[in-house]
Amino acid sequence: MRRVALFLLVIVAPLGAQSGRGSVRARLMGRVPEAAIAVVDSVVRVAEGERLPTEPLVQKALEGAAKHAAPGRIVQAVGAQAEQLRQARTLLERGGGTPPTAIEITSVAAAMVRGLPPPLAGRIVTALPDEPPGPALHAVADLEGHGFAEDAAVDLIVAAARAGLRGLRLLDVATAAVHELQRGATHPAALATVRRALPDVPWPPKPSPAEVNRARRPRPGV
Amino acid sequence: MSKLDPRIHEVLDGELPLERLPAELRALVLRLEHAAGLLRAGPAPASVAGRVLAALHRPEPSRGRRVLQWLTERHVITIAMRPVWSLALAAVLAAVVLVPDHGSAPLLGAQEGIARFVGHFPGARSVDVVGPFTDWHTGVVPLRDDDNDGVWSAVVVLPAGTHEYMFVVDGERWVADPLAGRYVSDGFGRQNALLIVRPVGR
Amino acid sequence: MSGFADAPDADVIARILAGDGDAFGILVRRHEPGLLRFATRMLGSPDAAADAVAEALIRAYRHLASLDDPTRFRTWLYRIVANRCKSHLGRRSAQRVSLEEAAPVPDPHDGEAELERAEQLGLVERALRTLSPEKREAFLLKHVEGLSYEEMAALTGERVPTLKMRVHRAREALLEALKEHR
Repeated sequence: MRRVALFLLVIVAPLGAQSGRGSVRARLMGRVPEAAIAVVDSVVRVAEGERLPTEPLVQKALEGAAKHAAPGRIVQAVGAQAEQLRQARTLLERGGGTPPTAIEITSVAAAMVRGLPPPLAGRIVTALPDEPPGPALHAVADLEGHGFAEDAAVDLIVAAARAGLRGLRLLDVATAAVHELQRGATHPAALATVRRALPDVPWPPKPSPAEVNRARRPRPGV
Repeated sequence: MSKLDPRIHEVLDGELPLERLPAELRALVLRLEHAAGLLRAGPAPASVAGRVLAALHRPEPSRGRRVLQWLTERHVITIAMRPVWSLALAAVLAAVVLVPDHGSAPLLGAQEGIARFVGHFPGARSVDVVGPFTDWHTGVVPLRDDDNDGVWSAVVVLPAGTHEYMFVVDGERWVADPLAGRYVSDGFGRQNALLIVRPVGR
Repeated sequence: MSGFADAPDADVIARILAGDGDAFGILVRRHEPGLLRFATRMLGSPDAAADAVAEALIRAYRHLASLDDPTRFRTWLYRIVANRCKSHLGRRSAQRVSLEEAAPVPDPHDGEAELERAEQLGLVERALRTLSPEKREAFLLKHVEGLSYEEMAALTGERVPTLKMRVHRAREALLEALKEHR
């Protein structure tokens, strides 16, 4: 085999892609316990029929195998993941508009798994109908994780969106509030400071071209 | 949890003298005060004054700066390839390497971004990042600690979006990144860290 | 300088902001015992507490100029440490429990009174750990660090009645836990 010196490795499978039919079993064999493979495969088929993203389900099974979970646990986790994807899609469809992409469904599912109560998630989707909810939900979850009250967190993110901040910029709003907290502000004062400054919220640092050029892509098949 | 007689709270809040309580309630007040006294007087933790004052004289190190230090060192990555792919890839790479760097990011897809992984694991022999982007294999994204200061890091290209991950230390100890700030239950009784990768073009 | 070491916080801060950075050492030595004790009881780990307090003091120094009311320096410090402790506890649920969180082992050369005291402290510490971070913080600030409800309000941004309720519930929870851990 030729050895080739590289700065970049080969492309990774995009997140949220549909796993090829025959390849699900092939990917699981030798890693996931035999007892779990058939059930996981059938969960994946059902999800495929519902047009849910299936890659997260395969990944959940591989994760369980890597963590040496029992077959029953793996099956349970994959089933729970499918349910989370279903709920995420239901939430997204409430917002109307074009059918949600696999990435959007996965992102919203992750936000819910972080512990956002469904009614709260529903509030955000209702308040921001033109906004893909993933970043907004994660921003609220970020704030909650640092002890901000749920309702106040939602209010700030909705205010930010109405002030013109969109998509991932909403994460920067949460970051700004957390930084205020770290500087010694109380939770209410932190929210007030950021709210007063809207839409002026610091951007995250951009990676330098040198950093980008030297970054490596993972190549799991090797 | 049983509620206490409100007079107990009044005494402890300094709104009522202890003597006004019946004996059985006084015992509860004393129990709490004794507990507080033990906590107050317990062994004193060692002073951090030296460490704080020393740090004030150093410039503030940023996480990014530490990673940048790692990045400015040379790293050559080799992979073994099937012969039929290697010629085609070599041609592509020649083009890639010869493209001058104009300060933009020509080598990343529109929906890709940079993920920086940093962890403090002094004494570790190896640290890997593991997640769906490695098919949950170890050894695909190893972190490095070239100056042996216990700070391990890696910079990785990932598709924009959410990614769960964990660190695996010395091939066997699974740790959720303490610096992640975001966590999700993994469905196996533990938690994964969660990363949100932004496309470089924003 | 030894006379100055007893000056009120506001005076020391004025001196630091005028350029005498070394004077920060006075504030560190003055406040760290209480902060370390609070953080150790919150986190259950002297090492984690040392990290939290050291980082908080460094951060306080770097943001000293942004402090609105220098007479409230102590409350401000406690706020930064309390926030760090809560963040640390939020993170820590994701990690394995470290050995240092096991109950402290008394030195067998201690006299009987010391051994008994150490055992009682262990019981109280374990009971304290069963409280939620919010209740734990409320109990520690009120009964161990001796803050008034008004100081706690300034620290947390909560209203005094809310804090009173929280402290009352914390007392009840602690007594309950002490009963069970006998």
